[in-house]
Amino acid sequence: MSGSPPIQAQDIALRYRLDRANVGTIKEATVRTLRRKRTVESINALDGVSFSVDRGEIFGVVGPNGAGKSTLMKVIARVLPPTSGRVIVRGRVAPMIELGSGMNPELTARENIVLYGALLGRDPGHMRERVPAIVEWAGVEEFVDVPTRSFSSGMLARLAFGVATDIKPEVLVVDEVLSVGDKAFREKSQTRMFELINGGSAVVVVSHSVPLLQEVSTRAMWLDRGRIKMLGAASEVLDGYVASG
Amino acid sequence: MTAEPSTDVYDSDLRRRPLITEFQNFWRYRGLIKLLVVRDLTVRYKRSVLGVWWTVLNPMLTIAVLWVVFSNFFGRSAALDEPYIVYLTAGILIATYFTQGVIAAGSAIVNSRNVLIKIYIPPEIFSLSAGVAAAAHFLLSMVPLLLLQVLTGQGIPWTVVLVPIPLVFMLMLVTGLGLLIASAAVYFRDVLDIARVITQLLNYLIPTFWTIDFIADSPTALALVEANPVYSFLVVFRSWVYGGADAPAWTLAMMAGASVLALMLGVYVFSRNWRRVVVRL
Repeated sequence: MSGSPPIQAQDIALRYRLDRANVGTIKEATVRTLRRKRTVESINALDGVSFSVDRGEIFGVVGPNGAGKSTLMKVIARVLPPTSGRVIVRGRVAPMIELGSGMNPELTARENIVLYGALLGRDPGHMRERVPAIVEWAGVEEFVDVPTRSFSSGMLARLAFGVATDIKPEVLVVDEVLSVGDKAFREKSQTRMFELINGGSAVVVVSHSVPLLQEVSTRAMWLDRGRIKMLGAASEVLDGYVASG
Repeated sequence: MTAEPSTDVYDSDLRRRPLITEFQNFWRYRGLIKLLVVRDLTVRYKRSVLGVWWTVLNPMLTIAVLWVVFSNFFGRSAALDEPYIVYLTAGILIATYFTQGVIAAGSAIVNSRNVLIKIYIPPEIFSLSAGVAAAAHFLLSMVPLLLLQVLTGQGIPWTVVLVPIPLVFMLMLVTGLGLLIASAAVYFRDVLDIARVITQLLNYLIPTFWTIDFIADSPTALALVEANPVYSFLVVFRSWVYGGADAPAWTLAMMAGASVLALMLGVYVFSRNWRRVVVRL
């Protein structure tokens, strides 16, 4: 099994139903059913997407808003089951889909490290031991017992990234989180991602920032309205994306 | 930084094996469940003076009001060997555990939406954690009950060590019912409001503040009360915690049977529907 790629997606599609904005209560649903007005529309957030990511790769994903990038990340993170097609992800996944997800602002940095780690499938006892190393990397040592609601977004990003990479995931999914931090943070986190892929992990980075992806990714995919527009070497795909305007 | 090999393989084609997958998840995520329960007990009251004791105080206030209003009426019931305040408190504690447990377990998945749409956690973990937190609150509120038993001279019988049995069965009941509600609550927001009204009604249908001799003349009313699984908990708990009237065997059987059935049903229905549910979150 060690030879098989950590992420394999075969012809995945994800259909959302659009009726939920209107029907949120039993009362409304009954009224609509009685009036035979319950129209259900669906949109394909992803359609026929196939790719795989190997160990040691940083896989960049670009595309305009609404291209299905975040949906794809959620499918890889197994948060959303695909409507059709098949996705296989081997190993522990650390998704960083949004800043501060998995953290409770009322809890201290120390408590949040344990909670976030546990949500990512790590034993709380192990996480408690890792607290010093994580806060040191994130540069928040003095604030380890301060509730994270008083943290700046940069501090939160560093803390979250510190935890997500400290658990040594086989698959790291980073969605736009890198753009929050300053230059120093970007450099630090890039080093960390390179360490991860050198250890045999696979990293998926979603970003609007083409220069960032140029710098880190080995391969890339360009998504447009749920379909793959281009898939291949990072420079080619990213140049193609930039050229399209 | 070498990735530690893990045996996790996620294959979207693999379907859950109803009941088996869920119970494996409960065991696998036990560390997280413990953490979520502790968080539930601390975060909610972190910035209040009384802290977690608010949960104890809350039923106590209800009990105080009911006691003032009804002690002259039901307190003189010939069916009562025990002090009315002890009878009343034990009743309200069970009713509170049931109501709060069902609602907490039922709303846990919707309330954890922010985590569930970003990190994969089997959603049923949140319902179970909410149930366990309700059980912890119940244990805490037993402190004033035991205190009342001592103060009124009712005393604490040895059977108090058996109380964990109804405690665990109630956890199964509220988690099962909670999971049934939880899937529906993702689709329809008003499900939780409806559930709140129904659990409230169920609580009035069992003798918490009133005594059973009050309806003894009506076989229909009696049957209605005895058909309510929460009633069996009430009888068993009162019998064991302060030495109330003996719990007949059928109440024990009903308590266990209804709880196991509710848990199995709740988990099974959830297991069959969860894919549709998570997409809707």
